[in-house]
Amino acid sequence: MKNIINVGFIGNPNCGKTTLFNAYTGANLKVANWPGVTVEKKEGQTTYEGDVYKLIDLPGIYSLSSYTMEETVSRQCIMSDEVDVIVDVADASCLERNLYLTLQLIELGKPVILALNMMDIVEERGMEIDLHRLPEMLGIPVIPVSARKKTGLSILMHAVAHHKTNLHQSPLIHHHPGMQSSHIHNHHNEYAMVYEDYIEDKIDGIINKLNEKYKELPNKRWHAIKFLEKDTTVTEHYPLEIDDIIDKSYEKNIINQKYNFIEEIVSETLVNKSEKAASTDKIDRYLTSRFLGLPIFLVIMAFVFFLTFTIGDWLKGYFEIGLENFSAFAAEGLSAIHTNQMLSSLVLDGIIAGVGGILTFLPNIFILFLALAILEDSGYMARVAFVMDDIMGHLGLSGRAFLPLLLGFGCTVPALMASRALEHPKDRFKTIMVTPFMSCSARLPIYVLFSSMFFGKNAMLVCYSLYLLGIIVAIATAYILSKIDGTKAEHALLIELPEYKSPNTHTIAIYVWEKVKDYLGKAGTVIFIASVIMWVLLNFGPAGYVTDISQSFGSLIGKVIAPLFRPAGLGYWQIVVALIAGIAAKEVVVSSCSVLFGIQNITSASGMDSMVDTLGSLGFGAANGLALMVFCLLYVPCTASIATMQRELGSAKKTFGIILYQLAVAWIMSVIVYHIGLLF
Amino acid sequence: MTLKQGKNNQTYQVLSIDIEVKLERRLEALGLTQGTHITILNNDKKGSLTAKFRGTRFALGKRIADHIEVKEVSLS
Repeated sequence: MKNIINVGFIGNPNCGKTTLFNAYTGANLKVANWPGVTVEKKEGQTTYEGDVYKLIDLPGIYSLSSYTMEETVSRQCIMSDEVDVIVDVADASCLERNLYLTLQLIELGKPVILALNMMDIVEERGMEIDLHRLPEMLGIPVIPVSARKKTGLSILMHAVAHHKTNLHQSPLIHHHPGMQSSHIHNHHNEYAMVYEDYIEDKIDGIINKLNEKYKELPNKRWHAIKFLEKDTTVTEHYPLEIDDIIDKSYEKNIINQKYNFIEEIVSETLVNKSEKAASTDKIDRYLTSRFLGLPIFLVIMAFVFFLTFTIGDWLKGYFEIGLENFSAFAAEGLSAIHTNQMLSSLVLDGIIAGVGGILTFLPNIFILFLALAILEDSGYMARVAFVMDDIMGHLGLSGRAFLPLLLGFGCTVPALMASRALEHPKDRFKTIMVTPFMSCSARLPIYVLFSSMFFGKNAMLVCYSLYLLGIIVAIATAYILSKIDGTKAEHALLIELPEYKSPNTHTIAIYVWEKVKDYLGKAGTVIFIASVIMWVLLNFGPAGYVTDISQSFGSLIGKVIAPLFRPAGLGYWQIVVALIAGIAAKEVVVSSCSVLFGIQNITSASGMDSMVDTLGSLGFGAANGLALMVFCLLYVPCTASIATMQRELGSAKKTFGIILYQLAVAWIMSVIVYHIGLLF
Repeated sequence: MTLKQGKNNQTYQVLSIDIEVKLERRLEALGLTQGTHITILNNDKKGSLTAKFRGTRFALGKRIADHIEVKEVSLS
């Protein structure tokens, strides 16, 4: 019979749990070098010696007391029956911090295995860890691994297999010179973490009371410690009269004594404490410096977008040639086999024009995500939170809230999810509200297309200013919100600054590949379907199949709404239809335009010229184009982001409110921009 | 003196943390308690600062740094 053993991967933020999880399950979950990348638990499977192991990757936590949403998720999961064996992943290059959680996990009484990750970095820094002494002091198996280099993986699984039911710990060997317990039992033989006698006396007292009242309660020692810490979840669940034993919360004493023990462990097991950390300090002197920090950040971001536009556009040229050839080839093929006119119109004007047009933007998207991946993997992101903290403070947000905004340049959906790392619900709401204004990669095709159509050599400048406008609207919104709620800022920045590391090729390859796959997937699903629907709406009308699209359903719908958009210079039924379709995904605006105006290779120079001609004959000029881009920048990003917002906020009312706000802002701003544009 | 008043590259010992319980707990969980040694890395800005304690670098907001009482430690 096959058993399923549930293994929970837990550890401090940024210690490599996800990398380890990916190594076992072959999954391609995103990893990066800043704390709080994983915000949801993820599950995967692996088999070892005929048993099935369900692996659970949890958001990183520093302790089992929970403060943020992600910490609550991890704590609840690890304490429930969902987890049979705990694999505590620790960053070996930062043992002192990581062992605190380890000691708490050991006290839980479930089988714990310590996976010492990043042993390669430890070696690199010339440190050594006494792997013989460490398990003696902790009483649990300690397995050195390197998730990045995939070493030690099978030994770790072996340890999990053999300790899954083994509640009894390995023998403990303590020395504790001069600290021998004068307590009734010598707990040093039983527990890794032994407190000073006055605490142990109280623990014993509470255990006695628990024995009387809650005989069936497992692991009474852990519960007793929670009583001493005045942990409300435990004290409320198991009311107990213990006023004669404790007069106050002993939480501080317990924490301090745990850290004292950790110091003892570190001093006994860590050889050649690292001096190499100095290089991170040296880099930080510039990147986090008072005067240089912000300019450096801005230069880096400008460079990222510069690469996205220049190199991306250069590569895009080749994609366009490929698409043109393919389209011509398909047209030839279809007429050679005498396909009927309706079907070949669907394929050429609907599918190839719509989906193909989107695919030509792949190089731009690829470069943007490559740059973001390198930034995230290097460890710079946490510094950005520090650099931006003062500015964000004026907006009533902590620097930490800047990270979701920055991720918003890539894709709004994960950016909205990253807001979970914020502690206060108010901060989360504000961040979720302003994140969609950060221009995501799906909006890029719209800018690239319309700015090069109407602004020629100033196209890149126009693109930059759209990004800037998005940021300004986001800042203004946050500022207004902080004035409205008026409460004094509760937030305070608190974020770990990881050591810098050279970006890992494999990590970055996974990250970028996932994004490219998403993009291709979107082109094959949402955009494909939207293109087909668009084609149907434009080729069928009340009179059936029509060749004149002004008689189609799409035209009828668009004409009803168009007057609403006239003040913004967007009162054309084709544009309105494209904007409505764009709610499915922003790229659809571009693919719809190509279907709407019947231009097969809309992104090529000749395609753009004929589009400009068509639009020009309608009276749609540069000012209208600019207003269109502004509207696309600010209105509802896509259905996926609406769904994510709804899930993160858990309130349809708030989600709906945000959507209305986005539409209103988009309309107002595009009206303003249109009228300013008309002046020139 | 408070941590915010501290100098770069100087190590201090925490005397007390006077901030709402929730945040104090969070700092404690990170190992910043009474008696902890903390080294300031960069306190040039008006607001937040970076510091190292228990072997890890952290960025601490001004509100936290203002509410931690410290005294200088001379490392022999």
